[in-house]
Amino acid sequence: MSMIAPTGYSRYRMPALPLMTWISIGFIAVALIVTLIGPFLVTHDPYMFGADMNSPPSKEHWLGTDDQGQDVYSRLLIGTRLSLFYGASAACVALITGGLAALIAMALGPVTETVVFAVVDLIRALPGILFALAFVVAFEPSETSVVLALGISFAPNFALIARATYLQQMARPYTDAAKVLGAGRLRIALVHVLPNIGGALITQFAIILPRCIVSESVLSFLGLGVSPETPTWGRMIASAASFTEDAPHAVIAPILALSIVTFSLALIGDALRRRFDPARRRIAQ
Amino acid sequence: MTPHLARLLVGITVDILRSLAIAVGIVLITFFLIRMIPGDVVDVRGLEGSLTYAQQSAMRDDLGLSRGWIEQFFTWLSMISTGDLGVSSRFATPIVDLIATVLPSTLKLGLAALGIGLFFGIALPTLACVYPRSIFVGLVDFVTIWSITIPTFSIGILCVVVFAVWLGWIPAIGNFVVPAIILGMDIAGTIAKMLHEDMKDIEGADYIRTARAKGLSPARIVIGHILPNAFTIVIALAGLILAGVLTGALTMEVVFGLPGLGTLTLQAIKGRDYPVVQAVIIWLGLAVIFANLLTDLLQRFIDPRLRKS
Repeated sequence: MSMIAPTGYSRYRMPALPLMTWISIGFIAVALIVTLIGPFLVTHDPYMFGADMNSPPSKEHWLGTDDQGQDVYSRLLIGTRLSLFYGASAACVALITGGLAALIAMALGPVTETVVFAVVDLIRALPGILFALAFVVAFEPSETSVVLALGISFAPNFALIARATYLQQMARPYTDAAKVLGAGRLRIALVHVLPNIGGALITQFAIILPRCIVSESVLSFLGLGVSPETPTWGRMIASAASFTEDAPHAVIAPILALSIVTFSLALIGDALRRRFDPARRRIAQ
Repeated sequence: MTPHLARLLVGITVDILRSLAIAVGIVLITFFLIRMIPGDVVDVRGLEGSLTYAQQSAMRDDLGLSRGWIEQFFTWLSMISTGDLGVSSRFATPIVDLIATVLPSTLKLGLAALGIGLFFGIALPTLACVYPRSIFVGLVDFVTIWSITIPTFSIGILCVVVFAVWLGWIPAIGNFVVPAIILGMDIAGTIAKMLHEDMKDIEGADYIRTARAKGLSPARIVIGHILPNAFTIVIALAGLILAGVLTGALTMEVVFGLPGLGTLTLQAIKGRDYPVVQAVIIWLGLAVIFANLLTDLLQRFIDPRLRKS
């Protein structure tokens, strides 16, 4: 923001998206296409072990092979689908458990609100991957426990957004009108308020999604993620990390894929937030 | 007693009680989560083939693993309340000693990273605010998104590949400078993001317009008026920053083969050494709760706006 008085955003003219955001949208479009038609693009069976291990990129293996002789290019394509799927699933779990639990608790009254937000505080006190770590360790590393662990550890973000926006909406006339018409508190929260705070929750979703993908890869890297046969990017990085001398390509390829996709998702999430977060727009004026 | 002081005291009491409740919750959750893990340390040792069946059950009795969870919990609770962290089931060493051996290494990494993070996290947004049309604005955005999305461990591995394997500038195992820089830039991003957004908000305030009308230079306005007011957000984030340092150090240690809390935790998880995992997660959690409590209290004293609510 400049030292000159800020002009603010006009209601009718949104600022143009920066070039980097368009490039990010392009990357994500490619990732989505790979997710959809990836199995048709593979050159080798991504799960088949091969005889030539840690071989550099060649005509036969476009991105070389890893320590098991598996084709890195094919695994990367399947990994795109898996990493995006597990990341999105975790973010969905967070959105649904965090957002809905908070809304229903707020609607039911101060007692449930206190209880639910005490749990939220508790999860927030075990920050970053600490909660997910304790959770995955307790329930054995598996696809389900990773998704649940990440979903629960990111749920507080949605719960806090839901509480703040719910309170804003309850101060508006339409919720009073619904109350006068005899709607119950749960009905007001789920039928009237929820559609109005959906935008805020979805913006938060866009911010949380890349973090879920990254966290999955961190858990996998620590050996607590999805099973070793599942080639998510984190898993590929984890298994290739021990062979950086023989096969640097096997570790660089998934790292680049992971970095590009999460970076692009974050840029898009940031653009969404700037465009649809009314609070920040108001401050800018 | 003035009403003002009474409100401050009530606020402080509420803060402390809340932290205590959360601390108790963390202890409970960690204990029962860890106990849900199928298989215990005796199973792991049994699989390694070093114990007979009779020895295994004797060892379980010895470690208290054959008793019920609730009983184990209270035994353990009365033990840690005296400051005794217990004994590692695997190495038969007191956990305090295990942690004490690796803590200096983790603290060294954490403090170095924190120093780098604070320096860049404060310098970049300040420069971006003083020179709003310069490259610093882009740098703040870049560091911010970088820290959110690029996991430190993947950058760490890339650095190992480039600087250790290809260029041979650093040893592949035991390097300390590179992980400190990587972790530091990660923390810088967290700080820079919040600080810059807050500084932009404050820039629109009336008293900043007044300062500008008085003819103060942009640098003086930013450093003298905006930064001190925005700095409360960095204090508010102390808990989050501490958590970032600790969990970040965990993965950095594994990537760069440094001894430390992270390596210790990972080994304990793989060896199902419950008491060690428990101790580490609980003490990290308590450290974060304590940092949060401290910042809440600090804020009440330094930020007059919070005293009113």
